[in-house]
Amino acid sequence: MNQRLLTFLALIFVALVIMQAVIGAVLFAQLVGISPDEVIKYYGNKSLHGMLEVMLPHVLFISIALMASLHFLAFIDTLSKKEKTLFTQLLFTLFFMDQVSPIFISYGIVFFAYVKIVAFFGFEGVLGWVWIVIFRESLLNDTSRH
Amino acid sequence: MKFIASKKLSDNSVLRVVILWMLIALILAMGLSITAKAIDYGISPVQWSRTILGNPNEFIEPLVFNDLLLSIHTDLFGFIITFILIASIYARTSRSTRIKIGFFTLSLVSLLLYPLALLSSPLSGSIGVTIAFGLFLFFHNLIILGSVDLIILLIRKKL
Repeated sequence: MNQRLLTFLALIFVALVIMQAVIGAVLFAQLVGISPDEVIKYYGNKSLHGMLEVMLPHVLFISIALMASLHFLAFIDTLSKKEKTLFTQLLFTLFFMDQVSPIFISYGIVFFAYVKIVAFFGFEGVLGWVWIVIFRESLLNDTSRH
Repeated sequence: MKFIASKKLSDNSVLRVVILWMLIALILAMGLSITAKAIDYGISPVQWSRTILGNPNEFIEPLVFNDLLLSIHTDLFGFIITFILIASIYARTSRSTRIKIGFFTLSLVSLLLYPLALLSSPLSGSIGVTIAFGLFLFFHNLIILGSVDLIILLIRKKL
């Protein structure tokens, strides 16, 4: 297959996942809020069933999206194996902390409101960095070939 | 992972049945998605515009932007997973490279432009909504066509 076209398709796919993450971040800021008090108030009023309704599709989708995004990272030569493993471990750890912390918040453990905020923005930040690495690498490789 | 590793799907009758039923389920999912959207937004661009942008003459309030975002977010969840499933199978078919590339490009571009058109609708008005309506139907039909094509290939043992 044409390499440039494949790169283009990969970039569209990454753009889609980025759009999904950005919309998720905007929704989080609009619906939940970004201060610990707002987070405690939002999740304190939610039932376990309500939280599971949100959590289930997120866990399913994000794990698939992470697998798809991180497999691009596996092909990048400029990063060492150690760095790639670190990115992967970090992303999945932040992702699990982000998803599980609302349950603890609903049980009144205030500390997890801070965990939720740090994990959410940490996850978005690290994922953003991974995509920048992927973008940079695919664009550089594409330019060097032509 | 065995699916990716095994050379020919026709050698494995169990995997063929699994993929076949998954494709049938995907076609059903696409049909249900169109039906759900028809209930939520309507069945024509005019009805979509009325629901999303509102209509002062009929005292219909426009959709709250957060609700529109939530709807796009939920749609993208399902559509991206559907695309990954179809693309992973389609990539290993005996169809020509041109057909494969065409299928991937059209589905990805429509998938990317659909939410952008919806998001721009507060600015672009009914034009944005009409484009989103067209792309939504186009993506769904493309996935249904791709699934039917894959089912035919599976039955003819060419996958």
